[in-house]
Amino acid sequence: MTTLTSQERLRYDRQMIIPGIGEAGQKKLKQAKVFIAGLGGLGSVSGYYMAAAGVGHLRIADGDCVEFANLNRQILHHTPDIGIPKTESALKKLRALNPFCVITALHETIRIDNVIGLVGDSDIILDGTDNIATRKVLNSASVSLDIPFIYGGVNGFNGTVSTFIPGKTPCFECLFHQQSDKTQSPGVIGPLPAMVAAIQSLEAIKIILEMDGLLTNRLLLIRGVDMVIKKIDVPKNPECPICGPDMEKRQNG
Amino acid sequence: MDSAIRIIVNGFPETVPDNIAISQLIDRFNEGDTDLIVEHNGRFIYPDFYMTTRVSPGDRVEFINPNFGG
Repeated sequence: MTTLTSQERLRYDRQMIIPGIGEAGQKKLKQAKVFIAGLGGLGSVSGYYMAAAGVGHLRIADGDCVEFANLNRQILHHTPDIGIPKTESALKKLRALNPFCVITALHETIRIDNVIGLVGDSDIILDGTDNIATRKVLNSASVSLDIPFIYGGVNGFNGTVSTFIPGKTPCFECLFHQQSDKTQSPGVIGPLPAMVAAIQSLEAIKIILEMDGLLTNRLLLIRGVDMVIKKIDVPKNPECPICGPDMEKRQNG
Repeated sequence: MDSAIRIIVNGFPETVPDNIAISQLIDRFNEGDTDLIVEHNGRFIYPDFYMTTRVSPGDRVEFINPNFGG
């Protein structure tokens, strides 16, 4: 049975006093396991918020090392971390932030042949990647493991967020099946990934707390240059090769 | 001959032929990026439906570039 120590009660007091969280909600957070895919601009912020909120176990994955060009937005990493694996840098900061959080650092590039092992027995996949191909890999793991996938993406002053729940909502592939994988790195101004990852983190907390009102069946678009934020409705794609009826037929034999 | 209608494209009023399809609008507004997504009256339109989704007077259409950086 999960219990909270007096130190944990003190640490989480300001969120435990929120109606709807309380001790029961904090215990759900402590029991939760979240996979953070990528420790760049998005994963830096979601890593901090997942650890700070008291998510009990984080699995953090990134195959890269810290570079100078990361530091305008990837706030988990500091100047002395240049050259070390992002997982090592992240582990140091997140452990210092919350020693109650168990962290598994996975210094590996996420691929189709290792994604299931990396995600392990996580309850949620938080997207902090920087390309569409890896997101499609994460989406396939989400569908096959039947766990939510919270997508976030940024470009310049723009951001996009959506939550995908297998079997209930469209999946990432439904929306972006025909997208090409442009490999050039887009420009990014730091607050955009912070905004997007903060929304992704809130979605993860709401899922763990079993709350309604998720950002499902909708795509949230943030246009930072004139601060237009809007949602568009997304129906399920009946032709989706990942979660469509053909896939369901294959899974059911 | 088709009559003209007024719609909103990317936030600006535009005059287009009545009953024009999304696929024709993409050509008309020279939206060359194959990765764009289309919003029609607040709803995401799948590419398979670009040719069969037609606009009516007052409709709002947005061509959006999705974001995949991180």
